[in-house]
Amino acid sequence: MSGIERGGLVVEMAGLNKWYGEHHVLRDVALGLARGEKIVLCGPSGSGKSTLIRCINGLEPFHEGDLTVCGTRLDGSAQALAEVRRHAGMVFQSFNLFPHLTVLENLTLGAVYARGEPEARAAERAHGLLARVRLSDQTLKFPGQLSGGQRQRVAIARALMLEPEVMLFDEPTSALDPEMVHEVLDVMEELAAAGQSMIVVTHEMGFARRVADLVVFMDRGEIVEAAPPATFFEAPATERARTFIGQISHANQGPIT
Amino acid sequence: MTTAPRSFAYSGTAATRTPPEVPRGVRAFLHRHLFNSPLGGVATFVLGAVIAIVLWRVLQWSVVDAVWYSPGDGSACRDAAGACWAVIAEKYRVILFGAYPYQQQWRGALVVALWLGWGAISATRLLSVTLRLAGWAVVFVASILLLGGGFLGLEAVGTDVWGGLPLTFIIFGGTVAGGLPLAVLLALGRRSQLPVVRFICVATIEGVRGIPLLALLFFAALILPLFLPPQLTVDKLIRAEVGMIVFFASYAAEVIRGGLQAIPEGQDEAAKALGLGYWLRTRKIILPQALAIVVPALFNDIIRAFKNTTFFSILGLFDVLGATKAALQDPQWVRYGTEGYLFVFLLYFLICSAMSAYGSSIERDNQRRARKAAR
Repeated sequence: MSGIERGGLVVEMAGLNKWYGEHHVLRDVALGLARGEKIVLCGPSGSGKSTLIRCINGLEPFHEGDLTVCGTRLDGSAQALAEVRRHAGMVFQSFNLFPHLTVLENLTLGAVYARGEPEARAAERAHGLLARVRLSDQTLKFPGQLSGGQRQRVAIARALMLEPEVMLFDEPTSALDPEMVHEVLDVMEELAAAGQSMIVVTHEMGFARRVADLVVFMDRGEIVEAAPPATFFEAPATERARTFIGQISHANQGPIT
Repeated sequence: MTTAPRSFAYSGTAATRTPPEVPRGVRAFLHRHLFNSPLGGVATFVLGAVIAIVLWRVLQWSVVDAVWYSPGDGSACRDAAGACWAVIAEKYRVILFGAYPYQQQWRGALVVALWLGWGAISATRLLSVTLRLAGWAVVFVASILLLGGGFLGLEAVGTDVWGGLPLTFIIFGGTVAGGLPLAVLLALGRRSQLPVVRFICVATIEGVRGIPLLALLFFAALILPLFLPPQLTVDKLIRAEVGMIVFFASYAAEVIRGGLQAIPEGQDEAAKALGLGYWLRTRKIILPQALAIVVPALFNDIIRAFKNTTFFSILGLFDVLGATKAALQDPQWVRYGTEGYLFVFLLYFLICSAMSAYGSSIERDNQRRARKAAR
């Protein structure tokens, strides 16, 4: 997208407010993601982190505030929505692969129909991305034939087909069996190392420590604390964050990576 | 002194082996399913005897004592104890083609051959779905042209004398071809976020489902013309056909809506996130999955649509049933209505069973695919 110089902000929001009925789910949220950086969003369930990440590519509308993705302000118009979705790739907790299409078709569908890319070129890019997530041998299978970890890697490759400026991960490992979490996190870390800007909602604190430039802690719809991982984990400033970290590390007892 | 039992588990390596042999063959089947207990054995004997007696009576009436040929009139049938199949031999042209001009009935026969032929070709599934559907469109249009005539030296024949099986096929084909797309639109519209669209769809579905088909057809065929300007004359067949289409679509729409609701929200969201617009999401992601789910219920409606063609006989259009009724008004044959209707019964039964079997085979295909694609 023109107008963004290297190092600019890919995602920028201010004063974001949203209600579900009377329930105030996002309270004056302000957040900026610089190009090439990684933000990990964490917080107890119901804290609004999934809602927030879904607002960024317009899957959830919000009531007040400004949200700009790659220079396009989400103003409720269909054009803005389409433009934002061209630049933001989304990975869901429940994969949401299309079960009636093969792995390859899952990848090429968006490129061919939404962007009008020739089928052969889309397939070529798809093969490249599948190699990158180490699934070159699964291209003609259906999602139902894959393990959870493989499905989530397909979903990541599918989102990468957009050549997104920013990748949005909504609890990408929460629906996985424990032994498959790693293969997905590995792929995400490789992406991060390659300079992909991303916002990740996750409970994987090891991943946050290794990858995040900024850990953002949310509770009850507001951002309570935002700090680099070292500071956040070693010296949390608020009581709420301390309690949360205590609960998380308790649940993660065992080999903390 | 006894010790309390302790929990235990043995660990070891057991080689994999084949499952234990299950007895097969006639004896095992008899034992397991027919004579597995004294009471079961008695029930098998009693029910078996009842079936045998009924079958023998039917066979006696329909084959042994039946009269197959009675030239000219029904005189040879008069003393027979069994069925008089001669009535079919005598009247089959009227039953199959209605009031269509006798010399031109080869055109009706050709239409029937087209439908049955393409039905058989479609059932083999050698062709792609697109080709099969295109073929049906050609068959449908060809049938109408062939029956109507008025070109290439073919004598023009008005729809008022179309009849019998070709007419039944055309009514049915038009109902499904027009009704299914309309049903999809109604189902989508009912879930629309636009209030006016939603209202129109709900009103159509609920309104049409609330009145009997017969009333709808009467309205379309007999009452509607009173309200239309006299210059605007629409063929009665077409008016009634529109009624059929709307009726079919209203029921099928609810079936399809059920399928749409079974698709998880995440599918639509994932497609949105890829930048696909509403119609692309619907066409590529939602509908293929939703329709596959509702195939059994949809075939229910399709088979019913075939049987509903018989309602046209009440409007004075001679579908197979109407033509049979007319044929049996001949005083020389009027006594043999049972045989005539049995023939029609068999005709409907064969066609509906074939459709039913086709529906099941699509379902099996889908299941095979779904097993592979299980989420």
